[in-house]
Amino acid sequence: MKRVVITGMGAVTPLGGSVSETIQALDEHRHAIRRCPELEACKGLRSWLAAPAELKNEKLIPRQNRRSMSRMSIFAAQAALEASQQAGYQPELFSPGKVGCIAGSTTPSPITIHQIYETFIPTRDFGLIQAMQFFQSMSHTVAMNLAQYLGLQGRFLSTNAACASGLQAIGTAYELIRAGSQEAIFCGGAEEFHSTVTGVFDMLLAASTKYNDDPDHASRPFDAARDGLVCGEGAGILFLEEREHALARGATIYGEILGFDTCSGGTHISESNRECIAQCMRQVLANAECSPSDIGYISAHATATLQGDGEEAAAIHAVFSDTVPVSSLKGHLGHTLGASGPIEMIASLVGLRKNKIYPTRNLTSVAPECQGIRHVAEIETTQATCFMKNSFAFGGINASLVCKID
Amino acid sequence: MTREEIVITINTVFEESFEIEPERLVPDANIFLDLGLDSLDTVDLVVAIQKKFGVQIRDDERVRSIRTLGDVYQFIEVIYNEKKA
Repeated sequence: MKRVVITGMGAVTPLGGSVSETIQALDEHRHAIRRCPELEACKGLRSWLAAPAELKNEKLIPRQNRRSMSRMSIFAAQAALEASQQAGYQPELFSPGKVGCIAGSTTPSPITIHQIYETFIPTRDFGLIQAMQFFQSMSHTVAMNLAQYLGLQGRFLSTNAACASGLQAIGTAYELIRAGSQEAIFCGGAEEFHSTVTGVFDMLLAASTKYNDDPDHASRPFDAARDGLVCGEGAGILFLEEREHALARGATIYGEILGFDTCSGGTHISESNRECIAQCMRQVLANAECSPSDIGYISAHATATLQGDGEEAAAIHAVFSDTVPVSSLKGHLGHTLGASGPIEMIASLVGLRKNKIYPTRNLTSVAPECQGIRHVAEIETTQATCFMKNSFAFGGINASLVCKID
Repeated sequence: MTREEIVITINTVFEESFEIEPERLVPDANIFLDLGLDSLDTVDLVVAIQKKFGVQIRDDERVRSIRTLGDVYQFIEVIYNEKKA
């Protein structure tokens, strides 16, 4: 089997338009949660908070590429360009058809879907729908726009498993390169904010509703006073490469992926299940040929929902006891859904390379159901080299990945 | 609608939808070779024109013979006058 390394990373997040801007914000313990007038204007919506990313410099993407991109694909393209530049990616250095594209999002563009039906329903006139709106409202819109933008001709896949979409993309890319079918793959996830996205979580009693007047303290994973998640947006894209190929072209290696697993819990359509999560983490450890003691940090999925955080904490306790530092970056970033896995994986990797573990923001009093694991509530210094990233999704979907810094 | 108003409205569509600089919007400009539109853009050009002028042109065979911006002005003027009549 081949070894798979990370040679490029890019991100557009609620905290900044690049990896370095995001890391700087984490270093300064800043957060991105804002009160959102668009949400306040919706009847029946109780959660008025969001973690928006800034759309800027989009015209640097040629119109021929950009015309089929909604906000989420633009974020993904910008993140991919950053990853490409960091990797020193040049197509001629790779075999034809051996650079792939795997990316996903929870849904196609909710903004474009809204616009289409806002036009169509009152008129019933298809003559008013633009061709480009169609390409923005396809399930694989992020991945196909990315592949077009970068001119990629290798393996293509769109992973659409809600909040696990991005980590599934990275894991699948890892497995394909490991098996020798691709030399490199751009992979990750993207998401765009819209009132219907927050509306879904509010309807399912999973969105924060008590902190509308106090955004600073709204997103508080694992905390006793948490009351739900805050939706964010952005993109995280990694350039994964077969290790020997990277070494041969003199690329800088930032980390190596050691193992991945994803599974369906099969127990409940929306509720997390501690046994299923623990099973996923055990399987990824086995795939990575690691023991729990090899893991120096866990970047939790923990979104600040009442049910999910407790189940993840219990699962981590079952596998790792209270020995491994754990934090969730959603206190800073909000929940960027399909982008959260890649964004938080990049932040964790860059943090460990700087000997830092970024904490769970707003974790002031650990909830009883979230105890039994070693929480990180302030920035910690570490010598850890190996970490686990978790992502979970509605439908009982679990995904975990083990990565080692280089 | 006067010819001048049609020209201004069409040029606005090209500026807004296809990001063409105003100075390139001359009647002799070939919308494919000079302005860079492709077949997908023409789909959205038709949609934009239908919205702006309240006309139905998607099935009009004359659309296929449009090459220059001047052809667009002329076509819309004819269509608009037909509608008025």
